[in-house]
Amino acid sequence: MVTPQTLGEILEGRGVSRRAFLKYSSYLSALMALPPSMAPAMAQGLAAARRQSVIWLSFQECTGCTESITRSMSPTLESLIFDTISLDYHHTLQAASGEAAEHAREKAMADNKGKYVVVVDGSVPLKDGGLYSTIAGVSNLKMLQDTCKDALAVISVGTCAAFGGIPKANPNPTGAVGIDEIIKDKPVINIPGCPPIPEAMTGSVAYLVAFGKIPELDHLKRPKAFFGDSIHDRCYRRPYYERGEFAEGFDDDGARKGYCLYKVGCKGPVTYNACATLKWNGGVSFPIQSGHGCLGCSEPDFWDQGGFYRPLSTSMPGMGMALAGAAAVGAALGVGAALTARKHQQAYIREQAAKGDEK
Amino acid sequence: MTASPNGREAPTLTGMADAVLSEVAARLADFAASGATAVIELTSMPLTVQDRAALDEKLGRGEVSAEVSAAGRSEVWETAFAGVWFVRHYGEGGRISSESIEITRVPLLLESHPDDARAAARRLAELCAQAQTHTGATPGSDGA
Amino acid sequence: MTLLDFARGPALQAALVIFIIGALWRFIGALLLPWRLVPAQPREGSPGTVSAWLKGMAVKMWPHEPFAKHGAFQFINGYIFHVGLAIVVFLFVPHILFIQGLTGLSWPGLPNSFVTVIGVVTAASLVAALLHRLRSPVLQLISRVDDYISWLLTFLPVLTGLLATAHLGARYETMLALHILSICVFLIWFPFGKLMHAFLFAFSRGMTGVRLGQRGAEL
Repeated sequence: MVTPQTLGEILEGRGVSRRAFLKYSSYLSALMALPPSMAPAMAQGLAAARRQSVIWLSFQECTGCTESITRSMSPTLESLIFDTISLDYHHTLQAASGEAAEHAREKAMADNKGKYVVVVDGSVPLKDGGLYSTIAGVSNLKMLQDTCKDALAVISVGTCAAFGGIPKANPNPTGAVGIDEIIKDKPVINIPGCPPIPEAMTGSVAYLVAFGKIPELDHLKRPKAFFGDSIHDRCYRRPYYERGEFAEGFDDDGARKGYCLYKVGCKGPVTYNACATLKWNGGVSFPIQSGHGCLGCSEPDFWDQGGFYRPLSTSMPGMGMALAGAAAVGAALGVGAALTARKHQQAYIREQAAKGDEK
Repeated sequence: MTASPNGREAPTLTGMADAVLSEVAARLADFAASGATAVIELTSMPLTVQDRAALDEKLGRGEVSAEVSAAGRSEVWETAFAGVWFVRHYGEGGRISSESIEITRVPLLLESHPDDARAAARRLAELCAQAQTHTGATPGSDGA
Repeated sequence: MTLLDFARGPALQAALVIFIIGALWRFIGALLLPWRLVPAQPREGSPGTVSAWLKGMAVKMWPHEPFAKHGAFQFINGYIFHVGLAIVVFLFVPHILFIQGLTGLSWPGLPNSFVTVIGVVTAASLVAALLHRLRSPVLQLISRVDDYISWLLTFLPVLTGLLATAHLGARYETMLALHILSICVFLIWFPFGKLMHAFLFAFSRGMTGVRLGQRGAEL
């Protein structure tokens, strides 16, 4: 069997120079806020690396994450990621289908045992033995467990794979869960977002390929490079929030002036993602810049937080009834207490008067 | 990477350009004294459009400028201050995907990489060998 | 369920229910008691009920002359943290939105930086009040556990609120959850301790004014 070529050798054959590697590494280290001095080391790592085998499993998903990561198909800086990986299995992008596709997956797993990376988008349904989502007659649960057995690492792309996402929203009819609730024995990286920002996905994979290790993760297993700051802390409309200038609705004066969207439900303060700095579609815009509050799409259970248009500091809906009931009970108790006290008072007064009469 | 709201009323100078300039000055002084190089990443700094223009204007252009075509277009130029280089990478659609200020003798991007040179040496040797074979096969004709 | 989900959901709901039940029980229970226990007629020339009521409240706004100098600190400091609390609670936009969510009422707020400064002043003023209580022999004689609990449960929301906005202490979501939980504890305690003075002070001071006024005593 031929020794697999390094990335450097493969791309040299295609006329991609080390200089291009260096440029790509500078771009990635800027994205991930690594010290600029790491770029040459990253370039070195990438050039010396074998092409990383990636098996992409798609479960209960909408394919939005694949759409997001494939937005730049022209030969530019951002698309180099597809040269650094060997995408051995992907429903939407692969040419093969049916038996041939499944065979390709099994072969890739065998050939790269212990070294392939599994990328998952979509959640896994657990209810009723997991029959609500199957591929080639195999439940998602079983395919996930089998495929991850000899994997190097697992990357959960999108909020569905990371935290359960839309399928998990109330009432969660299929029993959907995120990947890291099933896979406990392999390192898992969560790259949430609905969909995630393309650079968050490609940057994290490139880091893994170049340095052979997982980037620094937060308590929800998200790379701190992309999920370290909240939207609120990086939002260009923050000065309006601090000054108390808010849009009250979506077409009022404040909205037209670009004021803060807190009052129309922006979840920026409790959402961690790179939307406010990296933005979307290559830095064009992001929801707040386009006039709509942040949905919190990179956080767990973002669909069940009470409503996209309810301000963050309002209470959860449905409290009204409970409070009205409480008021009725309190009033009844108050009336009861007063009447009892009055009765005791009257009795006491009569008693005292009777004693006085006796004297 | 920070844009103005709605693209209408652009935000004004925030003073970040002056802050960056101070850092450049400090690093340049270090470089002049001890040769210590430095890189200042501008991509994710909260610079407005006006800030970037102000920075560009203050640093100016020097004697050297280069265009690099490696995985897309990049521009590298020395500013009016020797040792201070601007490196700008363009992405899809001509937008700036990353830029930085390097304080160094010459940015790494402009240098020829040893591995590239090794591969190029092989290619050039092959080219010369081909040319010799060609001349050798047809004696009498003018060798190239 | 995260800590924040618990704080904003079940905890806050339970706390509000207990607060409303307790506050209405005590308040209505007190208001429906007989107003005139003594059948005697008011003295001739004594002020009417309403003006006596108002005077009873007004004279308590500042200590009587002989005690003014000695009581000045306690009074001024008291005003500082009462006004400060009112500003922070009712003029901070996220709080106004919370009240709007519950009642539908809303009003304009103040800029955040202003409210933050007031918050710091209020916290300092509350600490000063505690120190004063600990060092004053008179206050030590009459202080009970209720006073200290009421102080702590008023101080904690101010402290956690400031820490949350400043991103100090724990993660923001955790600090926010602690802030909301401290309000929950405050609400649960409110009807059953000295904090109830917020609703009752108008009535106790008013009734004192009426009773003394009707007997011709100087208020």
